Amino acid sequence: MIFFRTIGWILWKDLLSELRSRESISSMLFFALSVLLIFSFSFAMDREVIHKVIAGLMWVAFGFTAIIGLGRSFTVELQNDCLEALQISPVSKGAVYLGKLLANLLFILCVELLLLPLFVIFFNLDILEKVPVLLVIMVGGTLGLSAIGTLFSALTAQIRSREVMFPILLLPMAVPVFIGAVEATRAALIGQSIRPWIDLLAVFDLVFIVLSFWIIDFVLDN
Amino acid sequence: MTLSAFILWLRRYQGWVGLAGFLCTAAGLYLGLVASPPDYYQGDVMRIMYVHVPLAQMAMLGYGTLAGASLWYLWKRDPIVDNSAHAAAGLSAFFTAAALVTGSIWAKPTWNVWWSWDPRLVSFTIQLLILIGYLMLRKFIEEPDRQARFSAVLAITGVVNLVIVKFSVEWWRSLHQPASIKPDGISYAPDMLLPLMVTSIGFLFLFTYMLVLRTQLLYLRQLLDAKKGRLLSKAHL
Repeated sequence: MIFFRTIGWILWKDLLSELRSRESISSMLFFALSVLLIFSFSFAMDREVIHKVIAGLMWVAFGFTAIIGLGRSFTVELQNDCLEALQISPVSKGAVYLGKLLANLLFILCVELLLLPLFVIFFNLDILEKVPVLLVIMVGGTLGLSAIGTLFSALTAQIRSREVMFPILLLPMAVPVFIGAVEATRAALIGQSIRPWIDLLAVFDLVFIVLSFWIIDFVLDN
Repeated sequence: MTLSAFILWLRRYQGWVGLAGFLCTAAGLYLGLVASPPDYYQGDVMRIMYVHVPLAQMAMLGYGTLAGASLWYLWKRDPIVDNSAHAAAGLSAFFTAAALVTGSIWAKPTWNVWWSWDPRLVSFTIQLLILIGYLMLRKFIEEPDRQARFSAVLAITGVVNLVIVKFSVEWWRSLHQPASIKPDGISYAPDMLLPLMVTSIGFLFLFTYMLVLRTQLLYLRQLLDAKKGRLLSKAHL
């Protein structure tokens, strides 16, 4: 029971500090808008081309936006030695991980939900009836990115040059998520079955959440 | 016998292991590059296989050693096993890069491309990126215990990831285009199997030799750092 309450408290703490500072979501959103703007004048001339590459563009924007938010997840705990407090507090490290994971998932999904209509506007897409399917893919892909990103955020927060090391470690690990999410989005946009790709995302999410839950003990060990 | 005792035991025979590796590799290369017949379809181009395949095998063996040693370290916290993991990562990065380069050179005349989205190519490239990240991570952490712990975490996450990458790209290709570019059927005639086996065994000995040497080097360097630290702290007192 204390396990689930720890998850709840960590999630509540992160949501509260985000509500007060609005640092994570606003920095992610600003970054994503700049990326979107660059995309829109790089590719906007040709409708045919857009339809071929839009799935990739969406996930490049989502992925890099997620990196901004995920990297901050544990570095904010460095202020006032909060990370050490988390490390020595007598609670399950796995619960801390899951709480952080949920908070990250919520923040990144918020930004993605704001971005989706902007993609429709900038690229003149016609995806209204595909929105529920896209939402499922977004949750699956973002969960995978957050699962691996939260683990590496906890790891790189404790080393030198963390801003450099975080994307270097995260991106090669996130390749299966990108493959699954991009292919599922492409299939959804042209009206094919997304089932195999959603299965791949689900397998990845499950494997990495279980693995991180076990291995986080060695990362947050003091 | 514990793993660290095994490494120390291996040290006594390292010279012989190195010599055996050198002789086997030389013999295998002679058999492969001079004595064996050229391939029916590919001609002499195929001879790069006698180098490429052992390189790729050592790259995978290197990552396997790294993952095994990392798990063992997290379990037993044995510092010399961590030195072995570090050594295996460096070796595996070298062999992975070499396998990718030789593969690319072989692919150009046979598949007519330098690169293709083949499951093995993708997983080898990701493996190289993870290994470079691993070696960089070790540079950025000073305390030996934390360095060992964090890099072990990365190595284990990486091996799980590599399995998923391979599986997902296979899936991806099979959905996209059923008959992708494939190398010409190499049926491993006995004339070709023998030089390949001899070279592989030679590379295995060389790999073991380099692993043992490098483990000792890293161990001694760590020892030296610790002693320097102790001297400095005494000087301050």
